[in-house]
Amino acid sequence: MGYGRKKYESKAKHNSTFGLNITSMTDMFTILLVFLLQTYSTNEVQIIPEKGVKLPISSSESNPIKAIQLTISKSELKIEGRKIASVNDNDINKADIDKNDPNFILPLFNELDKLAKELNNQPAPVKNADGTVTKDPNVKPNFNETAIVEGRILLQADSELPYSTLRKVMYTASHAGFPKLKLATVVGE
Amino acid sequence: MRRLKKPKINTSYEFDLDLAPLLAVMVKLVPVMLLSSAFVQLMIIETDLPQAVKAAIQNSQNDQPKATVQLAISQKQGIRIIVLKDGQQKESIVPLKEGTFDYLALNKELMKIKTENPTVFKIEIAPEASVNYKEIVKVMDEARKPRDKETRFPIYDSKENKMIQTDYMFPDVVFANMMDG
Repeated sequence: MGYGRKKYESKAKHNSTFGLNITSMTDMFTILLVFLLQTYSTNEVQIIPEKGVKLPISSSESNPIKAIQLTISKSELKIEGRKIASVNDNDINKADIDKNDPNFILPLFNELDKLAKELNNQPAPVKNADGTVTKDPNVKPNFNETAIVEGRILLQADSELPYSTLRKVMYTASHAGFPKLKLATVVGE
Repeated sequence: MRRLKKPKINTSYEFDLDLAPLLAVMVKLVPVMLLSSAFVQLMIIETDLPQAVKAAIQNSQNDQPKATVQLAISQKQGIRIIVLKDGQQKESIVPLKEGTFDYLALNKELMKIKTENPTVFKIEIAPEASVNYKEIVKVMDEARKPRDKETRFPIYDSKENKMIQTDYMFPDVVFANMMDG
């Protein structure tokens, strides 16, 4: 009597799904989240550091406020991200300086003056009989309206620039009606 | 009589916690936080540029004559501190140390001046044209607060009608030579 060889059948189930162990991944995400919460910025005004500008380190604790943003790097002078003058050898390009005043940067004055005039030319809000104030809906609210009125400037300047170059910017800004200067710095020792 | 069989109770309470929903929340939160995080924290130093009219108004409003403190920053000589009080001028120099500004000595000198003039908060800075911006910022830092964290200066709080202590020395900075030709 011959016994037929019975084929061995594994009892293991051939299930295609499996439980992934995600505990370690959750740990990693928790640590990452705590780190990001620490660096979370709650400031009303966010300043994006300009490329190529090495800001000076300071122990100042004042938070940035709304202001017209001026950036001066080793190659250019910008207002609200737009290039208005060139910088050569750590000094403003001579072509952009007024011939009668060696500290006066003409394009900067023109831009700041234009901003102030634009604000003045906006139609004044209409006061109704009941005391309420109606603004022209066609007039777009200017982000820097208060900054222009109060004459505030936020200067992001390269730390290696000499005072003579910064002074030209400050001097021109002061003449254009922007006497309140805020110097952007990086938090450090 | 057949004995009742004792039911078997599984005393093992181990179970796998379903972390998938938690992970889903984390995955969504991390990109949001990454976008709104500030990896470089920026601050500002507030300065006022001198305006002749503004200064004149302020001077006329001030009943009591106060002392003025001016720092003349020179790349060759160091920092000259000029204190003008009651019509008298007092000068002191913080010389260069190994070719650079001696910030520690400057801080000590300014602490001494602040102790003598606790009501003065404004400092006028007059740097030479060649002085670097980062050095001006450092001078402002030294003038703002004393290095010794425990030092306090008494000031009169008119709202509370009492003397309070502050660690601020000269936080109000004005560029004195801005309008010079």
